Amino acid sequence: MLDRIQQLRNIGISAHIDSGKTTLTERILYYTKRIFAVHEVKGKDGVGAKMDSMELEKERGITISSAATFCQWNGHTINIIDTPGHVDFTIEVERALRVLDGSILVLCAVGGVQSQSITVDRQMNRYKVPRVAFINKCDRAGANPYRVVEQLRHRLNHNAVLMQIPIGLEAHFSGVVDLISMKAVYFGGPYGEEVVAEDIPAHLVDEANARREELLDAASMFSDELMEAIFEDTVTEELIHEAVRRGSLRRALTPVFMGSAYKNIGVQPLLDGVTHYLPSPKDVENTALDLDHDGKGVLLTSDSDAPLVALAFKLEVTPYGQLTYLRIYQGSMHKGGELTNTRTRKKLKVGRLVRMHADEMEEISEAGAGDIVALFGVDCFSGDTFTDNRLNVAMTSIFVPEPVISLSVTPKDNPSTTKLSKALNRFVREDPTFRSHVDQESGETIISGMGELHLEIYVERMKREFGADVETGMPQVAYREAISQKVAFDYTHKKQTGGAGQYGRVSGFMEPSEEGVFEFLNQVKGGVIPTEFIPAVEKGFQSCLEKGLLLGFPVLGMRVVVNDGQFHAVDSSELAFRQAAVGAFRQAYPSARPIILEPIMKVSVECPSEFQGNVLTSINQRRGLIMSASEDGVFTTIEAEVPLGEMFGYATTVRSLTQGKAEFTMEFSRYSKVPDHIAEKVKAEFAAQKKGGKK
Amino acid sequence: MIQDLAEVGPLGVLERSSHQGLGKGHLGVLIARAGVGKTACLIHIALSKLFRNEKLVHISLENAPEKVNFYYNVISSDLTKYLDMAQVANIKALIPRNRMILSFLNQSFQIRRLRENLANLAERIEFVPDTLIVDGLDFSNVSEDILKEFQEIARTSQVEIWFSALSHKHIADMNERGIPYPCNHVDHLFSIILQLEPSQSGIFLKLLKDHGNLIPPEAHVQLDPKTFIVTA
Repeated sequence: MLDRIQQLRNIGISAHIDSGKTTLTERILYYTKRIFAVHEVKGKDGVGAKMDSMELEKERGITISSAATFCQWNGHTINIIDTPGHVDFTIEVERALRVLDGSILVLCAVGGVQSQSITVDRQMNRYKVPRVAFINKCDRAGANPYRVVEQLRHRLNHNAVLMQIPIGLEAHFSGVVDLISMKAVYFGGPYGEEVVAEDIPAHLVDEANARREELLDAASMFSDELMEAIFEDTVTEELIHEAVRRGSLRRALTPVFMGSAYKNIGVQPLLDGVTHYLPSPKDVENTALDLDHDGKGVLLTSDSDAPLVALAFKLEVTPYGQLTYLRIYQGSMHKGGELTNTRTRKKLKVGRLVRMHADEMEEISEAGAGDIVALFGVDCFSGDTFTDNRLNVAMTSIFVPEPVISLSVTPKDNPSTTKLSKALNRFVREDPTFRSHVDQESGETIISGMGELHLEIYVERMKREFGADVETGMPQVAYREAISQKVAFDYTHKKQTGGAGQYGRVSGFMEPSEEGVFEFLNQVKGGVIPTEFIPAVEKGFQSCLEKGLLLGFPVLGMRVVVNDGQFHAVDSSELAFRQAAVGAFRQAYPSARPIILEPIMKVSVECPSEFQGNVLTSINQRRGLIMSASEDGVFTTIEAEVPLGEMFGYATTVRSLTQGKAEFTMEFSRYSKVPDHIAEKVKAEFAAQKKGGKK
Repeated sequence: MIQDLAEVGPLGVLERSSHQGLGKGHLGVLIARAGVGKTACLIHIALSKLFRNEKLVHISLENAPEKVNFYYNVISSDLTKYLDMAQVANIKALIPRNRMILSFLNQSFQIRRLRENLANLAERIEFVPDTLIVDGLDFSNVSEDILKEFQEIARTSQVEIWFSALSHKHIADMNERGIPYPCNHVDHLFSIILQLEPSQSGIFLKLLKDHGNLIPPEAHVQLDPKTFIVTA
C-alpha cells in the first residue's frame, strides 16, 4: 500500500506559447472531475479556460500568472501549476520549477521543439525536474509526432522514448496505440471521457511492434529484471512501468505521449503517465540552508511529523485578500498553528488554509509534507521560508535575474497616484524581477523588468486591476559602468570645524575584477588603519558603486585593494574612514578610464529557412553577433547576441521580414562594453535628459 | 602567446611537416573510430585557425550548436588555463567573432542549403570563412558527387575544408596507397588524410597523405589523450 506522499505528484505544465497547454490543463481538470464543462482558451462562450484566472490572460489568450490547482487521478493527488509560455515571464516558470517535482513538457506536433521549448527545457534542467513529454495537436495539418521525437533527441538531448504511436494523423487522428498494453485506445463520448481499448488496427501492428522493441530496449537499460524478462519472454506491464519510472526519475529517459487536447484525445493516458513516471515528493532530494550554521545545507525529509519547512513561491491578490502559495517540504501545518517567517523572524498564525483550484478555493484544516497550499493574510515576499520555529532555515533562493529594461510611469491624475502606488507595492511583492523606484533627479516613478512585454503587461494591470491611469515613457536600457584600468589612490579625509575632528587616510589601488562583482582586499600592514575601521572603508567604497561618476549608473566589477593609510588617535572614526574611502573613489575613478556597459541579450529567432538571409540582415543591423544557424527540416534557428538597446520593436520587424512566420525569444546574457561611438550618443542623451529634468 | 597556442595543437605540427598545410581550395579528412576524439581533434584544428585570426565555419551534421559551442569552450579552456586573465578574455572574444556554427539536424543536410547558408553569411553579414570544418558526414554512405561538390565549394570560395570520417574496428579494408575505410575509395579527392589511432601510451596522429609529398617520419605525432596537445 502506497502512503499519501508516494501518491502525490506536484507537477508543472511547461511549454512553448500556443502549444495548447491551457487547453490541456482544462481537459485534465475535466477528466479528474474538478470542472464539469470544458471551455476554450479564447472563450467563445465568454467563460474562458479555468487556469487563465487573470482578466488580461483571458483577453490575450495567453497564461501570464501561474495558478495552482489540485486534482485526483487513480488514487493519486496531482497539484498542477500552469506556467506562462512567454519568455518574458520566465521568473514564473523558474518559481514553478523550484517547487515542483516533475513536469509535463508540452510540444506542438506541427511546430515541434521551438526556440522557447529550448529555453523552458534548459530551465527544467537547472532545477533537475524529470519530465514526460506530450506531443499535442496531432490533429492539425502538418502534424508529425515522429519528427518531434527526433527533435527531442537532437535539439534537447533527451533520451526520448515513444510510449504510444498515433492512429491516423492530422484530420484522421483518432486515437493512440499504447505500446505497453499493445492496445489501440480510443476516446468516446462528447468530450472523450469514455476510454475504449481495442485491438491494434492491422496496418499499425508492425509499426507498433517495432516501436515497442525500441521502448523495451531503452527501458531495459534501467532494470535488470526487465532485461531478463525480455530474454525469457516474460515481460509484464508492471516491469516496463517500473523500468521507465527509474529512467525517468534519473532524467535519463523521457517518456513521450501524444494526443490532441482540443479533440479530447490522449489526455487520460498522459495522466496515467504522470502517476507512473513522475516523482513523488519522496523521490526528490531537497535541501535548505541552515541559518544558524553559515547556510550549511540541511537535507529535508518529506515527513509530515518532522519540523515544518515551507516556501512561499507565489503571491496573488484575490477579491478575498492577499493569497500566499506555499510548498510544504517537510512537516505539516494546520489551521490555528503558528509559523515563523525566517527572513523577518516574525511569527504569525495560520488563519485560512486553502487548497487552490485556479481562482476557486477549498478550505482545509491541515496539510502535510509535499502539499501545495495557500494562506490568506500573510505578510511576506515571494521566496520567504516559513517554519514552525523548530528550525531556522531558508530554502535556497530562487535564481532571480536582474532587470534589464526600465520605463517611467506617470499618473495622469491625483486618484491614479494612490492607485499606482498600491499597484506597484503589490507587483514588487509578487514578482522579484519587477522593480520600482523614484528617480531622485527627475522625480519620476521608474519600473524595471525583464523585457518590453513584461513591463507592458504590468502597465495594463495597473489600469485594469487597480484603475490607475498612467502614461509611460520610452523604454530605457539598464546601463552599467565599469573601470577599465588599474589606478592608485591616496586620499586623506581631514575636517576640523570645532568639536571632534575627522581624520582618515586610505591608500591603495582599484582595478577591474574578472567576475563582475565588487571585491575588497585588505592588505594593510602594521595597523596603520586599525582593524575596526576596515569595514567602514569597505562600506565607503561599496556605497559609491550604486552611482558611478561617469553617467550615474551602478558600477560593476571592481576590485579595491587598500594597502596603506593613517589614523589619528582622537579624530579617526568609522565615519571619517568611510568618508576617506568615498573621497578616494572620487579621486581615482575618473582616471580609471570608466566605460559604459550595456545588457547583451541572447536572442534566438526561428523562421522558415527561406527567410534566413532576412533574419541575418536584421540582426546584423542591430549590432548583433550571429553565433550559429541550425537547420531542422524546413526551419532554421538563428542564435545571436544583440544589445538590448537595439531590440526595441524587433518583434514587429522580424514579423514583417518573414511574412509573420518567424518568432523570437531573448534572455539576458551578460553586460558588455558599449562601443565608443554609441557611448558618446548615450552620454549626449543623458546630458540632454538631465538638462530637461532640471528645467 | 596566442600564436603559440596555435602551434601546440595537432595542426601546427602538420603544417610544419608538410610545408604548406592543407591550403585553400583543398579537402582534408581525419579518420578515426568512434570515441577516439574526431570532434575534439577537428576543434583543435579549428582553434589553431581561430587563434590566427582566421574566419571559420563549423558545420555539424550531428550536434546542435549549443553542444558544439560547449566542446569549443572545454577545449579552449584547457589550452588557455595557464594564460593570464586578459589573454583569456582576448581569446574568448576571438572565438565567437571569427567562428560560425551551422548545424544540420535530423538528416536535413543538403549541399544546396550549405551553399545558400555560405552565400547568406557572405552577403548579409560579410562573414567570409577561410576554413570549413565538416563534422558528422556519413562517409560510409556519402557519394563521390557530394564530395566533388565540396571540392567545388573549396575552389570557388577559396576555403580549405576539413572533414571527420568514422572508421570501424571490424572493417579493415585498405587501398593500395594505405588509405583505410571509409576513405579508401575517395582518397583522390583529399589533399591531406590524417588518422587518429589510440594506443596504450596515448593517441597517435598519423599523416597518411600529404599533397602527394613523401611523408616524413616526424609527421606522425603523439597526442595527449586528454588535451590533444602534441607530446612527442
